[in-house]
Amino acid sequence: MRKRIMTIGAVGIAAALALTACSSGGSGSSDSSKASGPAFSTDGKGKTITVWSMNGDLPDNVLKAINDEFTKETGAKVKVQTQQWDGIVTKVTTALSSNNVPDLIDVGNTQITGYAATGGLLDISSLKDELAQGQTWLGGLVDPATVDGKLYGVPELAGARTVIYNKQLWAAAGITTEPKSYEEFTADLDKIKAAHASDPNFAAFYLPGQYWYDGLQWVWDAGGKIVSGKEGSWKGELSSAASIQGLNDFKTFQNAYSTKASQTLNTDKPDQDQNFADGHAATIEGNGWETGVILGDNKKLTADDLGTFAFPGKSGSTQPVDLGGSDWAIPAKSKNQGLALTWAKIAASPDIQKLVAAAGIIPISNEAVDAASASLTPLQVGSFTAAKNSTATPSAVNWSTVESDKTMETLFSSIASGSKSVEDAAKAADTAIESDLNK
Amino acid sequence: MAGPSSSRSSGRGIRRRRRVNWGSNIVAIVFAIVWVFPVYWMLNTAFKPRDEVMTETPHFWPSHLDAANFVAAIAQSSFLQDLRNSLIAVLSTLVIALLLGMFASAALTRFRFRGRKVILVVILAVQMLPATALLIPQFLVFNHLNLTGTYIGLILAYVASVLPFSIWVMRGFFLAIPVELEEAAAIDGAGSWRILFSVLFPLVTPGIIASSIFAFIAAWNDYLTAYVFMSDSSMYTLPLWLASFTTPTGGTDYGAQMAASVVFSLPVVVFFLIIQRNLVSGISAGAVKG
Amino acid sequence: MTVGQTEANAAGEITPRRLRPAAPGLRRKASAGMHVPAILLTPAGLVIAALTLVPIGYLFFTSFTDYDKRTLFTGVFNFVGFQQYAGILSSADFWAALVRTVLFTGAMVAGSVVIGMGVSQLMLRLGVVVRYLVTIVLIVAWAMPNVATSKVWVWLFQPGYGVIPWLITQLRVFGDVTQTDFTNDFWGALIIIWALVVWQAVPFIALTLYAAQTQIDQSMIEAARIDGASEWRVYISITLPFLRPTLGLMTILSIIWDFNVINQIILVAGVQVLKPIATLGVWSYLVAFQSSDVGMGAAIAVITMILLLGITSIYIRSLLKSGEEF
Repeated sequence: MRKRIMTIGAVGIAAALALTACSSGGSGSSDSSKASGPAFSTDGKGKTITVWSMNGDLPDNVLKAINDEFTKETGAKVKVQTQQWDGIVTKVTTALSSNNVPDLIDVGNTQITGYAATGGLLDISSLKDELAQGQTWLGGLVDPATVDGKLYGVPELAGARTVIYNKQLWAAAGITTEPKSYEEFTADLDKIKAAHASDPNFAAFYLPGQYWYDGLQWVWDAGGKIVSGKEGSWKGELSSAASIQGLNDFKTFQNAYSTKASQTLNTDKPDQDQNFADGHAATIEGNGWETGVILGDNKKLTADDLGTFAFPGKSGSTQPVDLGGSDWAIPAKSKNQGLALTWAKIAASPDIQKLVAAAGIIPISNEAVDAASASLTPLQVGSFTAAKNSTATPSAVNWSTVESDKTMETLFSSIASGSKSVEDAAKAADTAIESDLNK
Repeated sequence: MAGPSSSRSSGRGIRRRRRVNWGSNIVAIVFAIVWVFPVYWMLNTAFKPRDEVMTETPHFWPSHLDAANFVAAIAQSSFLQDLRNSLIAVLSTLVIALLLGMFASAALTRFRFRGRKVILVVILAVQMLPATALLIPQFLVFNHLNLTGTYIGLILAYVASVLPFSIWVMRGFFLAIPVELEEAAAIDGAGSWRILFSVLFPLVTPGIIASSIFAFIAAWNDYLTAYVFMSDSSMYTLPLWLASFTTPTGGTDYGAQMAASVVFSLPVVVFFLIIQRNLVSGISAGAVKG
Repeated sequence: MTVGQTEANAAGEITPRRLRPAAPGLRRKASAGMHVPAILLTPAGLVIAALTLVPIGYLFFTSFTDYDKRTLFTGVFNFVGFQQYAGILSSADFWAALVRTVLFTGAMVAGSVVIGMGVSQLMLRLGVVVRYLVTIVLIVAWAMPNVATSKVWVWLFQPGYGVIPWLITQLRVFGDVTQTDFTNDFWGALIIIWALVVWQAVPFIALTLYAAQTQIDQSMIEAARIDGASEWRVYISITLPFLRPTLGLMTILSIIWDFNVINQIILVAGVQVLKPIATLGVWSYLVAFQSSDVGMGAAIAVITMILLLGITSIYIRSLLKSGEEF
């Protein structure tokens, strides 16, 4: 009896809610704003916009420069909130769906496609030229932000991984020049390995097995790729001959130069920068800015003790790197879209990009990269060189599902540890990727 | 929460006269060491100098007590702001849930009416729903009503979660009040409302305290609801603050995080220890799990 | 709020209310008008209806739609009938998660109840000082908020710098595990989370059983001992039957609580939880809030809720039977 009453009540209420849900879907406030189109606004007196910045993206001095300029132009204030990467998909999705939405969000270039394709972000195609301000944006930043020819994001910054090495440990093994080829590189690592043969926890090149961004560099270098095709009919390519070759090269390299324990680890647990800073590894692959983290982890190291260079590939050129990076996107429900556009325009301006480059971060356009190349420090040169030969993860709508399923981590760690054969692991990954991307 | 301590202490007296069993004492000490180890390690890490936290060979005692981790946790973070947010959410929840719970509990215990049993069963069943079964629709419904991202939304979600068991806990205390008191008041000519406010509610104060403890702990500890509801980080509560001592590489500032854990746990642990006599004697009455 | 909302359920089951006369206050029926309880009940009733029952209704409704990320952003969705349920029930992931949830819950319940029984038995045989020590340790472990303990656990098992892998390595039995990332390994993660949940659950069970045991009539035990019964025999034939109701209650509450464990799994394994270790509760959270597949997440939550209500109904029925004043 009780059950029946409850069920009837619940159904009635649900129906009532369904009506509100449908009607709110139908009336669609976003349509009206689309009719007039987005436009820059400089009328911000008494207003405050909220900007979500990701932990580790733009440094404080750059954000402050953008905010100061923005306040000067518009009179509006800026509230910057730093977000953590862990669980960010949940955070951004729930925020984009609420009315309490930030005005600008900093979205990783692997994630922006998902939000753009599902109606979460403002279409800013009509303002692209004004936002670009005469620069040619890097493809790895603007392509994922473009869905069906429409633009949903303004590039924020780029990042590329580079080899980071400890000059003291390399010199101690008798190496003083940076390798120019894959063979030279492995020969150097052999010497370093031999010099530390007695220490099982020492790695000539510390490469955690789950570090799939790095592992992919071998795949790309061998001419392989993750997927081919297009939305709706993605096909996994990790078990293609070229990819398998790359995966085998990765396994050989990882097993030769990294520790046994590292085969199933990722870069954060334990923190590979801490590990490197403590002298347990002579070499790692990391983002350009990780050199700063390393120097902070061990105060005895100075900038002169570290060097960077782009990973020399077997193919003869540098290994293609994943062009990491982020875009500024404006939520479709933001109440200050005009002001947010003005802020994004300032952030993308050549002046601000000079500051970005000065902070050791790769700026967003070819022009800005060229301008910065003249005055690179030894700690910046590696990632800037690597960025010249860059590619990106597939800009598929559901790519973030592949990431949250940890498909790639599983692929590379099972190959590194040998728990699966290269072919089996690649096939399993292809199947998982296809089912995630094509659902 | 007073238990039937008289009968129990006599029982204990008999037992204590027996020989103390050394084997049992040793096993118990080993158990205590194992069980307290995580807490000890949290304290040990929190009070270490910053450079002794991340070492491969663990230091089992800080070389000297150092407050640097606490400075990092409290002064160099949004601790005070998040503490304020937590207090707003938790205290408002307490006031609303306890007031409503007291009224409902009085109705369900001191009156008999049709549907009473059904209501009790619903209240009981509602407490046992899986967390996500409530979280998903609450998020969707509150989002429609523009309540996500507001303190009111968070407080309402907390009230929904603590009200049923507040009613349930207070129910026990209402039932313990002898009927004769009511009857005496009724003979003196007091009406229902008068009896409620001048006889029953004052007498049920221990029950209010007991349920406020449980309600406080439940709301104070909530992580998921706040995580999903609150997008503005200036409105984060302490559990979100605690979960986020992350460095740019995805590594964690463990020293600061352990110091933060100490600060966050302290009020609850101290509280439990203060009321431990009642906890142990009245434990079976209030089936709490923290 | 898993743990929070399920607190304090046992009230009414055991002491101290046995002391008071049965059927209190019922005589008010004649003197008071029915409007008094109605007025008293209405605010709480409205709150529970609006904040719990309506959302549960909406959960059912959502589970029959394709509510997803697009719906969250734009409000557009379609009815899909039983499609979500059909998809879930035919997916291997679901059955794996179900089996995992049942086994994992069983392991946590068994662990906490068995250790709790052992500790309560131990406490009866201790000197005052040691018993006090054990009590304090139990209360501290019990009181620790689970967000904090989850973070402590991650730190204890941190590869490279964690103290537990270091201690295990010192045993020289399992080899060098200092670089092993336990939370990233299927069994490692499950064992760590199991230990965490059991660590926090034992105090409640141990202290409750201890309190119950002190009420056993000692003369019976003494008599049995004089008759030459072994301690084990005494426990089986006197203590255990006496504890059975309390034990049954502890077990069923543990089942409900442990089935609902979600914070610890998410916080220990990271919010990017390994899908392989997700229990039903975690899985529905992941599907709804991580993949933004809200319709499917809702359907998983509905299935989970029905399973749990099955267990709960056993508990409620036993309460209805035992509680004379219910």
